[in-house]
Amino acid sequence: MAEEKSKISFLPSHAVADVPKGTLLVDAAEGAGVHIDIPCGGQGRCGRCKVKLESGSVEDSQNPHLTAEQVRDGWVLSCLATVAGDVVVTVPPARARERVADTAAHRTAVTVHSDWPLDPAVRGYYVEMSAPSLDDNMCDLDRLKAALGRTHGLSDVAVGLPVLQDLGKTLRAADWKVTAVVEQGNVNLPPRLMDIRAGDRTGTSFGVAVDIGTTTVVVYLTNLKTGELVKRASAFNRQISRGEDVISRIIYSQRGKGLDELRSLVVQTINELLEEVCTSLDVPTSAIDDMVVAGNTTMTQLFFGLDPKTIREEPYIPTAVHYPPVLAREVGVAINPNASVYALPCVAAYVGGDITAGVLGSGTYKSDVLTLFMDVGTNGEMVLGNADWLMTCACSAGPAFEGAGVRCGMRATTGAIEDVRISSRTYETTIKVIDDVKPQGLCGSGMISAVAEMFVTGILDKSGKMQVDGVRARMRNPQRLRSGDHGYEYVLVFAEQSGTGEDIVLTEVDVDNLVRTKGAIFAGITSLVEGVGVTLTDIEQVLIGGAFGQHISVEQAIQIGLLPDLPWDKFKFLGNTSALGAFNALLSREARVKTDEIAGRMTYLELIADNSFMNEFMSALFLPHTDLDAFPAVKAVLEAAG
Amino acid sequence: MPVVEIPTEKWKGKIREVTLGGGGRKTVVVGGETTLPFLHFEGEMPNRPVIAIEIQDCEPDWTGRLVSAWGDAVKDPASWAKAAAAAGADVIALSLESAHPDNQNTGAKEAEASVKKVLDAVDLPLMVFGPYVAEKDNEVLVAAADAARGTVVALGSCEEKNFRTIVAACLASGHVAIAKTPIEINLAKQLNILITDMGLPADRILMDPTTGALGYGLEYTYSVMERLRMAGLQGDGMTGLPIMVTPGEEAWRQKEAKAADGVPEAWGKIEDRAIIWEAMTATSLLLAGADVLVMRHPKAIELVRATVDKWMAK
Repeated sequence: MAEEKSKISFLPSHAVADVPKGTLLVDAAEGAGVHIDIPCGGQGRCGRCKVKLESGSVEDSQNPHLTAEQVRDGWVLSCLATVAGDVVVTVPPARARERVADTAAHRTAVTVHSDWPLDPAVRGYYVEMSAPSLDDNMCDLDRLKAALGRTHGLSDVAVGLPVLQDLGKTLRAADWKVTAVVEQGNVNLPPRLMDIRAGDRTGTSFGVAVDIGTTTVVVYLTNLKTGELVKRASAFNRQISRGEDVISRIIYSQRGKGLDELRSLVVQTINELLEEVCTSLDVPTSAIDDMVVAGNTTMTQLFFGLDPKTIREEPYIPTAVHYPPVLAREVGVAINPNASVYALPCVAAYVGGDITAGVLGSGTYKSDVLTLFMDVGTNGEMVLGNADWLMTCACSAGPAFEGAGVRCGMRATTGAIEDVRISSRTYETTIKVIDDVKPQGLCGSGMISAVAEMFVTGILDKSGKMQVDGVRARMRNPQRLRSGDHGYEYVLVFAEQSGTGEDIVLTEVDVDNLVRTKGAIFAGITSLVEGVGVTLTDIEQVLIGGAFGQHISVEQAIQIGLLPDLPWDKFKFLGNTSALGAFNALLSREARVKTDEIAGRMTYLELIADNSFMNEFMSALFLPHTDLDAFPAVKAVLEAAG
Repeated sequence: MPVVEIPTEKWKGKIREVTLGGGGRKTVVVGGETTLPFLHFEGEMPNRPVIAIEIQDCEPDWTGRLVSAWGDAVKDPASWAKAAAAAGADVIALSLESAHPDNQNTGAKEAEASVKKVLDAVDLPLMVFGPYVAEKDNEVLVAAADAARGTVVALGSCEEKNFRTIVAACLASGHVAIAKTPIEINLAKQLNILITDMGLPADRILMDPTTGALGYGLEYTYSVMERLRMAGLQGDGMTGLPIMVTPGEEAWRQKEAKAADGVPEAWGKIEDRAIIWEAMTATSLLLAGADVLVMRHPKAIELVRATVDKWMAK
């Protein structure tokens, strides 16, 4: 019997696909050439892939991400609904993403700097040779090697076939005056000839440090001769449309050609950024002779095309933590094809090169004082230690602070509410919006701020539930606190003032999500601290890296129990420490050696194998924490508020 | 002869004392320990654990052997309360089972009548439980709180989803709240904090940490209770509260307390086995730190009382 096909049409493009019954709408769309973002990788967790059913029927299961009203209007999640006959669906326009990318990353940019003596792995050496003659009939390669030895003391230079293939032509065209681009990763390795360029080009050899974030990719184009940062650019990682967090990406990588697609998407993201910076400087991307990348373990594996499946499955094993030297042409990045791509070493499945980079860039590895380094993104990674020892762990915080799984959540871009203040007397609410435009949603710092304000003003109790009876009577506008589809919700901005034309709310479900996120991060900190046998108050400084954090209020983060209750001056926000570490490793071979050493020195605490984590997590699922005595400053605020 | 000093643990905390009854009725005080259970050589255990006998406001759907142990008394809450008092109850635990929507779905009026009947029949302190359906619990326990005004009764169970209404009733009528949480020390502490944040003093809370019967997760619940008690003895005011458990309900739910036929001979006679199952569950929970046992079978109660007598002898 022939398989029963159904016709599925997509509006507004009118694209059509014939698919078997039971096909997921998102797969049918792919077949019709219609792109639907599935930020959670197709697990039905984020609710962002919704499409509207215009006619026909689908098999669908109830999902909390759709309101009753949306369900009534025919909205379904395309990653869950399957075709049950001929159907017509409307795909809403994707959120404009690229345009805001640089705004988002710009807010988290700090100038990278390097305290290491300039000593890059790649250098240009200018040499002049006499032309061969019947009396001086040494071959081209030996002639060049002799000149490099004579002028620069380089010996035993290794040469690959691609360089050799162009050698004769280039030397002659350049009248025997050339720049030899030579890489020497460390002093024990033989130097490797990567390229021959006509004339003195020693001042125009570039390197690039790349931070491959799960969300944002940033490139830092650097002059290898001067060590100067020439230009930076950033964009959202194109993989986002195939999963917003690492777990979703790993899940996606297991679909058909998913792995190859994800690999291509990140390489494409990097290549576009390189094209952008190089075009603006009028240099060819092939003049980039070295690349250092830092990313979490999953991002690094996807970049190299290594199947990340085992990262997600017990016992959580990455393919490699120290990566062998890889050439640009093998990876597909559009730089000098003979250039090396060096990936900063990882520690474990969930402590990656971004953290090794962070420990290097933040100086944690050489600190005299007990330092807690944290990099908070979708995953929270922490490192505790000093110059003598380093202990690390990772916890899955979830993408709530990045906007996913929160009704009105968004990333920290134009239109995001980043600060909320609520009057304890009238409950009037004032907000601060990025770029002072009409608000569209809440970013991570806005969520922390909103939860903290709602908590200290008594809208939320310690379990994160909204208190209607006592509070509403005192509110100037009692409409702010109302019953929604999934429990109570608080209106931060009414539709008339919002940029979306809809109310911007924080629901009890959102708060629950945020409490879980902050609980996981705090439990990671306490598990690490207890694993080492010290207490929170022994921590002498807290260094916070990552996009997260630069705009959060330490006071409010402590009030919700995200950060430990320490004096505020102990917290320092360092910005993108992953990029900082990659930049240092690009400019200093010693820094590169140091990252290998740091990765080897870090002791990994596997929280899943640690009985105490679950207990720490449960006790952190409270505002600020089940043990209020551990939060003396918050206790005082609550007591003052009565 | 050389004197050997026995090493003892010194705790800085003390479990709060909670008082039930009064207002012309008998009074029972529970809690007050400064040591782990029955370690009289280490600290004080000023109040003997009490046995509350469970009665229901309608004929129970219990296994026949358990029902017949009470005879015709089960037909009326007043006569059942008298029988329970005669069986040596320290406290009467009245379950308003008829309010369950799958039962008779009775409401506030019937609850009030049942509570008054029991209060009139005996002079023991009272605990009142709803049918464990949040909405109905709110309805019947508020009525029970009002009906019992003037004496202190314990009302259960407050859970995270419905504690506010019941705690408000305790505040209004001077009663004790039973805070029930699902076998987790942090959740137990969190609910106590939420309840005291509403203004109910901590010495008007009994904790029900949720327990399993012998063979059905008892060891897990045991360690949660033990940790709660140790945290309390270490000085944590929000876990140092008396613990109430329901071994009668737990034990009689299991097949070991019900199955007469088709079980291995080694299981022994059902008559003894069922009673021992309840008694063993109860005494194990006492060792974990229980202050109030809610029990069902008169013979099991006898066994447990005799055991407590021995354990309380110094």
